[in-house]
Amino acid sequence: MESAAGYVRDRCVTGIHGLDEILRGGIPYGSTVLAAGSCGCGKTTLGLEFLVRGAENGEACAHFTATEPSVKLLDNVRQYDFFDMRMVDKGLINVFDMDVLYSWLGLTKATFDLGDIHALIKAITDIVNTIGVTRLVIDSVTTLCYKIQSEQLIRDFLFTLGKKLSTLGCTTLLISEITSEKSGVNMWSSFGVEEAISDGIIVLGDVERMGHLLRFLQVVKMRGTSHSRAKYAVELTSIGVMLTPMLKWGSSG
Amino acid sequence: MIELDQKIAEQLSDVGLNSSMQVRCGTSNSFTVTASILNPLINVFEMGGVYISASRGANEIIEGLESLGIPTGNIQFLDMVSSGILGGTNTEHTNISYIDSPIMLESALLRTMYHFRKKLTERNFVILDSVNALAIYNEERMLAEYLHTFVNTFRQREVLSVIINVPDQTPPGVLANLDLYCTDLIDRGQIVIN
Repeated sequence: MESAAGYVRDRCVTGIHGLDEILRGGIPYGSTVLAAGSCGCGKTTLGLEFLVRGAENGEACAHFTATEPSVKLLDNVRQYDFFDMRMVDKGLINVFDMDVLYSWLGLTKATFDLGDIHALIKAITDIVNTIGVTRLVIDSVTTLCYKIQSEQLIRDFLFTLGKKLSTLGCTTLLISEITSEKSGVNMWSSFGVEEAISDGIIVLGDVERMGHLLRFLQVVKMRGTSHSRAKYAVELTSIGVMLTPMLKWGSSG
Repeated sequence: MIELDQKIAEQLSDVGLNSSMQVRCGTSNSFTVTASILNPLINVFEMGGVYISASRGANEIIEGLESLGIPTGNIQFLDMVSSGILGGTNTEHTNISYIDSPIMLESALLRTMYHFRKKLTERNFVILDSVNALAIYNEERMLAEYLHTFVNTFRQREVLSVIINVPDQTPPGVLANLDLYCTDLIDRGQIVIN
């Protein structure tokens, strides 16, 4: 977004086909962005490609996985031509199991209190700081927040984490799982607080057209940049996510 | 044996890569016209490209072209027919990929772009076969919008687009838009003898 003084915020160029054009140059550096969507719409692929494109530029990237073991994640990602296992070997892409992190921190309880949350934030930011991570994905923040009982604590957790990561210059994608029912009523997070705290919201979902599901992506909000708010059709290919404007006469389902 | 239309080859030698060509044909000569276009593109101009087949299965098209001495190795086929009729996707051709339905217009565009990003040949074409087949499944306004996007997307990327169409089976609004968007015309509409 260009101000009257001509100031343009520096961008984290995602490298994802079409997304940087939608964002008019990329995600403003240090933003915490919610990538929200129902199952099977490409959230994990989007997150992984975001990291790979950063690693290709020599950036240190980190992926915290809470929904599946890291071994399984890496097995699944090998099908993509854009992924190169040497990025992991070289330490450019660092994958962490949230379960391992919990046990390392002694967080064995079913639910987290304020002290646990602060310990978790410290562990994540320490890793980011030590490795010099500039791109981070947490997949999914929904699974993580299920362990936090109150909305207020979820709000504190996300706000503090986002603020600290931003200070460290890290651009973060928080993957959020929503049901298709919720995505139809403009709710972009499971707990309702994630969307208010995030700097940006990228929604992924399905449009039903005559019995067929077409994937779409829509940037609903992105602080610090003017951006398109249109729906874009998504194709998940071996070379990455591909986007094209969704036909206006066929985008309402 | 089909006799290819040599005048089409002459006409094609005058078009640039950023051209969008509307090809009008009839119900009985559409394959002859399509083969007459592909023959010079492949065998003379040494181009490669993407063939979007919405009128019939890609397998049948490949066999027809090969029988005429038109090699299909440099063509990626996007078959929008076979997947929907279950069982039509069992083929040995590795250059066919399938799109669930002719209503998934954006998927056809993105898959075409995918092949171009993976680098086919130095000079590329995209053939859309055909507008009238897509008109069976898609509403007129949406199809007109799609063709507008299609033509402009490939013109911008210097990919020759060839749009096959049987005019008397295409909605008038779509026809009018095709006339407006396309830069060139090959007219081999069916001749009706009374």
